[in-house]
Amino acid sequence: MRPFTYTRATDATSAIKLLAENPHAKFLAGGTNLLDLMKEDVERPTALIDISDLDLNDIKPITAGVNQGGISLGGLGKNTDAANHPLVRQHYPLLSQAILAGASGQIRNMATNGGNLLQRTRCPYFYEVAMPCNKREPGTGCGARDGINRMHAIFGWSEHCVAVYPSDLAVALTALDAGVIVRSANGQQRRIPIADFYRLPGDEPEKDTNLPHGELITAIELPKNRFANQSYYLKVRDRASYAFALVSVAAALETEGNTIKQARIAMGGVAHKPWRALKAEQMLVGKEATEANFKLAADAEMADAKPLTHNAFKVELGNRSIVLALRMAVNGGKA
Amino acid sequence: MKEVTKVTGTPINRIDGIAKVTGKAPYSMDHPVKNPAYAILFKSTVAAGKIQAIDMTAAEKAPGVIAIITHQNAPKLNVKGGLRGGALLQSPEIEFFGQHIGIVVAETFEQARYASRLIQVTYDKKEPKVDFEKLAGQARLPKDKEKADARRGDVQTALRQATYKVEEVYETPIEHHHPMEPHATIAEWNGDHVTLYNSAQIVNGAQTATAATLNLKPEQVRIVSPYIGGGFGSKGGQWANLALAAVAAKHVNRPVKLALTRQQMVNSVGMRQHNRQKISLAATADGKLTALAHETTTHCAINDEFVEPCGDCSKVMYDTPNSLITYRVVPMNLILPTYTRGPGKSTGSFALESAMDELAYKLKMDPIAFRIKNEPDRDPSNGKPWSSRATVQCLQEGAKAFGWENRKSEPRQNQQGNYWIGYGVAAGTYPAHQRPTSALVKLKRTGDHVAATVELAAADLGTGTYTILTQTAADALGLPIQNVKVNIGDSSLPPAAGAVGSVGAASYANAVNDACVKLTQELVVKSGKQFFVRPTAAQLMRSEKITDYQTRVDSKPPESAEAYSAHSFNANFAEVAVHQSTGMIRVNRFLAVTGAGTILNPKTARSQIIGGNVWGIGMALTEESVVDPRWGNFVTRSLADYHVPTHLDIGHLDAIFINEKDEHVNTLGVKGIGEVGIVAVAAAVANAVFNATGKRIRELPITPDKVL
Repeated sequence: MRPFTYTRATDATSAIKLLAENPHAKFLAGGTNLLDLMKEDVERPTALIDISDLDLNDIKPITAGVNQGGISLGGLGKNTDAANHPLVRQHYPLLSQAILAGASGQIRNMATNGGNLLQRTRCPYFYEVAMPCNKREPGTGCGARDGINRMHAIFGWSEHCVAVYPSDLAVALTALDAGVIVRSANGQQRRIPIADFYRLPGDEPEKDTNLPHGELITAIELPKNRFANQSYYLKVRDRASYAFALVSVAAALETEGNTIKQARIAMGGVAHKPWRALKAEQMLVGKEATEANFKLAADAEMADAKPLTHNAFKVELGNRSIVLALRMAVNGGKA
Repeated sequence: MKEVTKVTGTPINRIDGIAKVTGKAPYSMDHPVKNPAYAILFKSTVAAGKIQAIDMTAAEKAPGVIAIITHQNAPKLNVKGGLRGGALLQSPEIEFFGQHIGIVVAETFEQARYASRLIQVTYDKKEPKVDFEKLAGQARLPKDKEKADARRGDVQTALRQATYKVEEVYETPIEHHHPMEPHATIAEWNGDHVTLYNSAQIVNGAQTATAATLNLKPEQVRIVSPYIGGGFGSKGGQWANLALAAVAAKHVNRPVKLALTRQQMVNSVGMRQHNRQKISLAATADGKLTALAHETTTHCAINDEFVEPCGDCSKVMYDTPNSLITYRVVPMNLILPTYTRGPGKSTGSFALESAMDELAYKLKMDPIAFRIKNEPDRDPSNGKPWSSRATVQCLQEGAKAFGWENRKSEPRQNQQGNYWIGYGVAAGTYPAHQRPTSALVKLKRTGDHVAATVELAAADLGTGTYTILTQTAADALGLPIQNVKVNIGDSSLPPAAGAVGSVGAASYANAVNDACVKLTQELVVKSGKQFFVRPTAAQLMRSEKITDYQTRVDSKPPESAEAYSAHSFNANFAEVAVHQSTGMIRVNRFLAVTGAGTILNPKTARSQIIGGNVWGIGMALTEESVVDPRWGNFVTRSLADYHVPTHLDIGHLDAIFINEKDEHVNTLGVKGIGEVGIVAVAAAVANAVFNATGKRIRELPITPDKVL
């Protein structure tokens, strides 16, 4: 890796200030992605500000404000702790399942919640510096567009980038309408709805998110909901553990009798961001929770898919996965 | 006289187990040397062409850099010295993406790697030959005489006349060995002698090839390799990195550590090539094979040839009057392929045993009955009798143990929840050979205590060589195992065969046994006495009051073995569950039944078989190295992209050994188990997937998208 300075931050304010001052500085938390990327010469920060000592680990109920009754996950909390916390398991089992579907036990023990949101694509052309990649080096072209793209996007890609976003946790957060709490150098704290946090590649694929340089994710807020008994995270992958999603679906339903009052569906492994399946959701609201309606919803969502050379299977797989995830959700996690 | 209980054949724990799990067993990079420098290789970013210029200005000024070595200043090496894959910095020519083009040596690994990234290389690029789909049509007959067309009878006529036949093409992708311990070397010169700490499956082979490459005599090179963190063929023949470590150490005049990164492994130390195999089978209505053709098309390096013997199983597995085995190969701008676990047999058996399953289905025969019907009573390829052959026993005992009678003969008849359940079977083989090996046995007596040291340049891949040799020597000398010390993995010891091609156990154990028998005989002669019951060497040391005695033997396979065809045989059984919506596959149960002659240690043997099974399951379901057909780079460069099975992918594994006494193969009757564990695994899984879903997948790996 390239030479860099290393600072161990003792408080959030000075850490953010240090970051904001240097456009090539990066926060270091779990390091499970950043260090790999530095070893491969993909990320080249000139300064690392280690924020692991900051006190941002708590998982706690939100007692005031618009999200009262929800919970807040500290930005520096470990993925493992979030997945196993009683509040998460009881009220947001979808989130717990999604986290446990990601990475491996060892990585989840190190990886933080905020860091998870900011992990970078696993596109092999992004990782190999000898290859063209607009995300890594704007203007060099997209190696995957006409290359090996079995793992790549079917929604929302551009000619500049066909990469997919890798996190499982963020897919669940997208279905659960989470908010990302960030703090800037002037001490201001604000809430970015998860739907606005991520972006499509367009002609600026180097930007994964809408988070400006110089801000710190302090927490993730989950609003109260009625999905806990009818949700499911389905991850389809090439092996049972430690593999990124071919397609994943976070599905959550609120029903009255057999009528769907609210539906939340988000997909992973299909786009540059967690893909909220709004068309499918709209199809379902007010309808009976039946296999036929699930299929209609899946058809509606997947009709817009635009597969690449090697990933046409994701359209059929995505369709089936939406249906299966909804069925699993209705049945409380059972087929 | 007390009856001695033999320890050979009992499941004692691994002798080196505690050293390994406590981190005390030194692997290549762990050996202490004084003041090492660190080297990193830097690599070509084009697949074909010529280096035009190398700008090292920035790299030379980078902190900690001691030297940069490229083809412009590398010493003249012998490129035909026996190291595999070229890339010895002898010319500006580029033959594949990721070819070594230089070495940076620095005070630390990080400094070396950083400096290597400051180097700017310009190339005269050529259009690379890297797209197998486009090039397969240009494949030609291999130069290797072993791969000449082998024809018996008239396959074409038999196929034309048959009612029941299968003619299909089976594809297996490029795979990489990816041992946990990447290839790594410490090179330390002492005058004009160099010691190389480097894990090697063939210790003496590494020595002679490196010496020849460096233009040295073999005795000037010492290979130290007490432990190997996996090799699977990639540490059989050695590669440029070994000689380049010595070059770097010489250049900077201090010890050098050179380790490949995981990403560099994909184009530094060989691979299993993509094989396109056409199988043609014909049979009579009652299931007697009338023709078997196995035609393989593959690729090799642009200037060097290696072709996996995919047709080997097809030569010996079944009795058929008409047989055809062919190979065609096309040179490509990719690294030289090499031996990879179960070379030819693991891939070849996927094609053959899938086709056998397809034909059994067409014949409406049970696939086990179909195989037994075509069991040959002697080796069809050369007419020799079998030294022993347990195929039928493996199939029958396996069927019983696995509950084969619960298999539905038609697909999609066995449903559990959202899953289709399927059973599959496949049979396989791997040849058994003993190779010349020398061994030295030293006895030392202190009072009544007799201790033995056994020395030979053998290799332990982690498979149990230390353990089985301790057991063999203990029994042959009449000592408890704790009084036996085994020293291996050092080219200064008596020369030995490699731990390759399933020859290790047979070669090493027979040599050690021969040495111990010879030593005992010599002690008897020395005593000048006649014995009614021959005493052990340990007893003789005591009774004759000898304090030190040693003997050495140069052991060879018995000439009588030549008259027989000697192979290990197996039958594998798989139960898979295939998710009806997502196509995700899980191997619920896997059973391997093996007939491999004498099993020296059932515990290490079982581990070796189930290890082979796990790789075979990976071959069936997950493993694939993918080349970008435009540029020739591998896009699967890490263990996050190249999927080996995880714990969660593997259900219940079981291994059974047939109680088999082979009196012809060698003195101890050992046939070897290293390779056969992966043979016919992928086919058993693929056949189970067909039985579950009705989908016949002829292209590995069987990922969810293929079964949707």
